[in-house]
Amino acid sequence: MEDVVKGLGLLLEFENIILILGGVLIGVLVGALPGLSSPMAIALLIPFTISLEPVAAISMMAALYCAGTFGGSITAILINAPGAPPAVATALDGYPMAKNGEPGRALGLAAVASVLGGIFSLIVFIFAAPLLASVALEFGPAEYFGLAIFALSMLASMSGISSIRNLISGLTGVLLGTIGIHLTTGVERFTFNIGELEEGISFVPVLIGLFAVSELFKQSEKLNNVVERIHAKALKLPTWKELNKLKYTILRSSGIGTFIGILPAEGSTVAAIMGYNEARRWSKNKELFGKGSPEGIVGPEAANNAAAGGAMVPTLALGIPGSGSTALILAALIMHGFRPGPYLISETPEFVYAIFGAMLIANFGFLFIGLVGAKFFSLIAFIPRKLLWPAVFVFSMIGSYSFSSSMFDVWIMLAAGLLGYFMDRHGFGAAPLVMGLILGKLVEESFSQSMIIYDNNFLSFFESPIVILFFVLTFFSLSSPFWSKLFFKK
Amino acid sequence: MDKNKSAPINLGALINKTDLIITIVLIIIISVLWFETKNFEKASDLFANNIPAEMFPQILLIVILGMVLVLPFEHLLLKKNKKDIDSNRKKSIPNTTLFTMLLLTVIVAFSEILGAILTMIAICAALPIYWKEYRAKVLILYIIFFPLSVVFLFNFVLGVYFEPGLLEYILN
Repeated sequence: MEDVVKGLGLLLEFENIILILGGVLIGVLVGALPGLSSPMAIALLIPFTISLEPVAAISMMAALYCAGTFGGSITAILINAPGAPPAVATALDGYPMAKNGEPGRALGLAAVASVLGGIFSLIVFIFAAPLLASVALEFGPAEYFGLAIFALSMLASMSGISSIRNLISGLTGVLLGTIGIHLTTGVERFTFNIGELEEGISFVPVLIGLFAVSELFKQSEKLNNVVERIHAKALKLPTWKELNKLKYTILRSSGIGTFIGILPAEGSTVAAIMGYNEARRWSKNKELFGKGSPEGIVGPEAANNAAAGGAMVPTLALGIPGSGSTALILAALIMHGFRPGPYLISETPEFVYAIFGAMLIANFGFLFIGLVGAKFFSLIAFIPRKLLWPAVFVFSMIGSYSFSSSMFDVWIMLAAGLLGYFMDRHGFGAAPLVMGLILGKLVEESFSQSMIIYDNNFLSFFESPIVILFFVLTFFSLSSPFWSKLFFKK
Repeated sequence: MDKNKSAPINLGALINKTDLIITIVLIIIISVLWFETKNFEKASDLFANNIPAEMFPQILLIVILGMVLVLPFEHLLLKKNKKDIDSNRKKSIPNTTLFTMLLLTVIVAFSEILGAILTMIAICAALPIYWKEYRAKVLILYIIFFPLSVVFLFNFVLGVYFEPGLLEYILN
């Protein structure tokens, strides 16, 4: 309890509150702008927040992450263009409801379901994270290796067209992480006599390139897209009676979202689609789905926001990112000198509670912003893309350069942008690559330490029941495309 | 007569040509990296107990290679799941995108000479004009005020150091 008070005390400084609300505002803005996304905004924010206090910086990013998920729903409902992938399912019923003359009601349902889903996952987070961390404290290098391998295998089921391509991306990220001087032997690896590569590739330019610059190239293909907007005067909150009718849908979706979020590598998009499908499956009014069903809005919205909170559990408790955005938050934590994982919770619990508080404030923050600014946020989708994307590139360049005042990092950013564009074109995801890059150090360190302990005997990994459990889970995760067909046949 | 039985196996249909090219490119990259691992320096005797520096990258390269070899045939598996790997790449890359890439590469290449402010102005002018944004008033305001507000925010408020360049040289 003392830690909770300390954590909230850290948070309740004027500067921190302003930064959290700033994060919420940026989150809703980027969420509402098709093409811009929370991972991109977090990647751009990292270099500018490095001089801030860690609590302020990470809280701002966590707030942005929560709000970004909701922001995408505004444009999904009003212009049928989901600002972010997790809002795709919201558009299925949100847009028809708006077209039927109830845009305010659709926005209100989405906002309240998002808040409730978010709060549900935060309650789970506050109990599950310390519990998970206390279990993980018992882990040795071999168990950590097993866990990291399991997390990498989960990339196979990450949203995207192909499991194999996701895995190739993830392992390429791990391989990129090996560039530079090998810490345990002092040997240079893959530096090709380039001095700047000795310390390895810095996260920031790679993240900015993969998420912001590659998106710029993609958007340059569709600069003249015209969208039709439905005018929303204000957001209309649902009545108690209506909420009472929807309570089971919200609760079920919140549970699904939190669970999906906790799984490494599974993100809000999968949660939203599952939330929508389950809402439809349990509904007494299936015929209304696709025509503006309230359940079709609250189902995905509660699930995608719950997944945001859920994804923070493995990120903070185990140091294993739960999604693309949390992989970036994890990178920011490392840059601020923290060691994400069980020690973060056991040594600095107040820090973790401060992040929890920031996410709680963010949930109410975007409800407030949604209430007063729905009309404005529906307009921002009309910012000319021909002026928006050059601005994004300017911020990308400044962000990459300012981190270590090196033009080499700007070239890395541009190269990552080009790589990200071609990867996306051929079905290789950028998010798995980032997760691999961030997990890479953990995988290699735990592997090397285990091999020293086990005297280079691979079979010794099978002496630990926890490692065996992770290897079995890895096997199931990798073979899921085959066995899921057997179990889930129509 | 059963057409399926008599039809010869069509190798072209088994292999996705685009993925075959990707596979060949990736195999070349993997080979280059593999030979690079062979050239890693030997660790000093002090670290003799540790596993060799090349071991982990080599394991990764082998695993990646194994998966890369599946790529040309993966479209068959995806088709069964009603996924089309070619949906995103049926059309060739538009010239606008290719030229945008080239334009940004050129601007980045000259950015050390131009300095931060002129680089920002170049980006804000070149991209919208190339993308056919011809509203002169909007464009002029954007080219002037956006870079200035960025300099004000980052340089004066947040203390980010901007590299001087041609503009500063001329002014001084």
